[in-house]
Amino acid sequence: MTDGGTTEERSTLRRWLDSDIVQSSPFWLPPFLLMGFFVYAAIGWNLLLSLTEYSGFGDPDYSNLGLHNYRAMLDDPGMWAATRNTFVLLVGFTVVCLIVGLLLALLLDREIRFSRSFRTIYLLPFALSFIVTAQFWRWMYNVNNGIVNQFIGLFGIGPYNWLGSPKLVLGSVIFALVWQFSGYTMIIYLAALRSIPNDQYEAARVDGASTVRMYWRVIVPQLRPAMVSATVTLVLFALKAFDFLYATFDGYRPRRGADILATKMVRESFGRSEWAYGSSIALMLFVLSLGVIAPYLYNQYKRGNL
Amino acid sequence: MAETQLDDVRKVFTEDDGNEIVAVNDVSIDIEDGEFLVLVGPSGCGKSTTLRMIAGLESITDGEIRLDDRVINDLPAKERNIAMVFQSYALYPHMTVRENMAFGLEESTDLSDDEIATRVEETAEMMGIDPLLDRKPEELSGGQQQRVALGRAIVREPAVFLMDEPLSNLDAKLRAQMRTELQQLQEQLETTTVYVTHDQTEAMTMGDRIAILNDGELQQVGTPLECYHEPANAFVADFIGEPAMNFFDVTRRNADGDGAVLVGETLEYAVSNDITTAIGDRNELVLGVRPEDIDIQHSDGNPRRADGHTVPATVTVVEPTGDENIVYLDLGEDGSETAIVTIDGMSRIEAGDSVVAHIPEDAIHVFDGKTNEALHNRRVESSEPRAPNI
Repeated sequence: MTDGGTTEERSTLRRWLDSDIVQSSPFWLPPFLLMGFFVYAAIGWNLLLSLTEYSGFGDPDYSNLGLHNYRAMLDDPGMWAATRNTFVLLVGFTVVCLIVGLLLALLLDREIRFSRSFRTIYLLPFALSFIVTAQFWRWMYNVNNGIVNQFIGLFGIGPYNWLGSPKLVLGSVIFALVWQFSGYTMIIYLAALRSIPNDQYEAARVDGASTVRMYWRVIVPQLRPAMVSATVTLVLFALKAFDFLYATFDGYRPRRGADILATKMVRESFGRSEWAYGSSIALMLFVLSLGVIAPYLYNQYKRGNL
Repeated sequence: MAETQLDDVRKVFTEDDGNEIVAVNDVSIDIEDGEFLVLVGPSGCGKSTTLRMIAGLESITDGEIRLDDRVINDLPAKERNIAMVFQSYALYPHMTVRENMAFGLEESTDLSDDEIATRVEETAEMMGIDPLLDRKPEELSGGQQQRVALGRAIVREPAVFLMDEPLSNLDAKLRAQMRTELQQLQEQLETTTVYVTHDQTEAMTMGDRIAILNDGELQQVGTPLECYHEPANAFVADFIGEPAMNFFDVTRRNADGDGAVLVGETLEYAVSNDITTAIGDRNELVLGVRPEDIDIQHSDGNPRRADGHTVPATVTVVEPTGDENIVYLDLGEDGSETAIVTIDGMSRIEAGDSVVAHIPEDAIHVFDGKTNEALHNRRVESSEPRAPNI
């Protein structure tokens, strides 16, 4: 009876070792640790850095933490411009992409549904790398001999400095990105369209709906889940449009009017060695991304899809 | 309410490689105002295509479809004043029941929102689905969805209802119940209805008339009992009735006196003069008899007099269904032909029994062996109840 306590301890240990969470740990623990260290710890460290005054060479000083970087942001006109541009790019690019992709998908779906032939040509731009598209659009937008100016020149318009003028540059960038991404949006919509049975189209027609009304009232509303997931992807791409701008402008110094948070973040950190300030911009970007993805995840969670 | 006429309606599908497939071949049917017509046939017989042509979902290659003497071949679905119930119900998943029912009225009429709301609610009440009005289709059971699909068609008050196997997704019990309910509803509304099914029981029990299609060709249009007792050809005789009619390939041999003998592998069946007249000089024939018309008797019992209408047989399987037994027979000494017989459920008969099967002459059908056309059908007036089979 004297070693009863030991027995109890041993059985508690035994039970703990036998529990599902311990038994399954070889499967979840390694990815958990890797993700935790390289993603979440990095985010945490970034937050910490953004509270310091770390700049130039040397080591960060963690003894004097404060929100001065965030305060500095409020007084930085470049920051406001970058935030505004980011939002314009985000909204403009996403909305136009969704509309163009939807129209393409509807047209293509009719083609497949009613005559059974398929074209992948619309998806091709999406398969190209950002670097290729950027170079390609630099030629297209060339002030002197770009196709765009040549073309509108036929109607006596232009030429315009598409990538040079602060008023035009953001629109030009959005247009190029839409060209590249609407194919992707189309594929998402097309997959959703394919899952709508023919009966739905026929029922709507027998109910007396015209083609436009049929799509507007019966088919397009059923594409809502596809639209939500396409939107999330597009917004995340827009937030990260950095590589496209980098390739278009040969570095992270885009023309005035096309600076976004991502380019500014890299410029502050790696161009000017303002590490702490760059970190605080990174955190802003992170919060923005979270703002997009969190409602989506919550929605998915509520519908039991997670 | 409308009379609907199909006049030599033809549908040809052209495949990618240029092959032409005739799905519906010159079908002509006059559907009377308020009639319940069932289009029945095996899969791929063209019944759904015919329905879809009436609905305006499929173009008409040739011929005319008229609604109250107005040719509707090229009218868009919207202007046909037709409502359709789909096999899958095709309810709009993003709309509530109320919105589903209102959709057709909103798209095809000029009714005000208030009038539409009133009509939807009245119909829902009649169908007993008013508690479901604010639910989405995914929240409904199969039977409820079916009811909503019907309600969606009824609320339109169309000239013609088209129904494409509307009961096939329900379980057996609900299906039987809905069958009755649909019939009552149709009688109450007096709306012309074209109903497509592959289920001959549904066709027999629901239709005022049934139209039997096979390979795109119309085989027969008639009341269920006409099609049952006086089939136009062997296909109809085989398709209508469960278990199916027994068929025996026979040739004709002239008897010494009157009549003739139909000789098959196991059968030597004497027929009288009026049947031989109907046969004419044809030699390849098919003898048909319904399972319930064959009597069987244990061979050791009182032997039936040999009138040329009996054949010895062995029972291979007995399937009791309660009210009747379905008995499978091997005919003849070697059992080279088989027959199915239904007998009273109380009769005692077991697999392995030796029996004598009696095929009464007034119950037989004779078909042309080449064209399958009916040459002689059973006498309908003689179908008064007979003595128990055993």
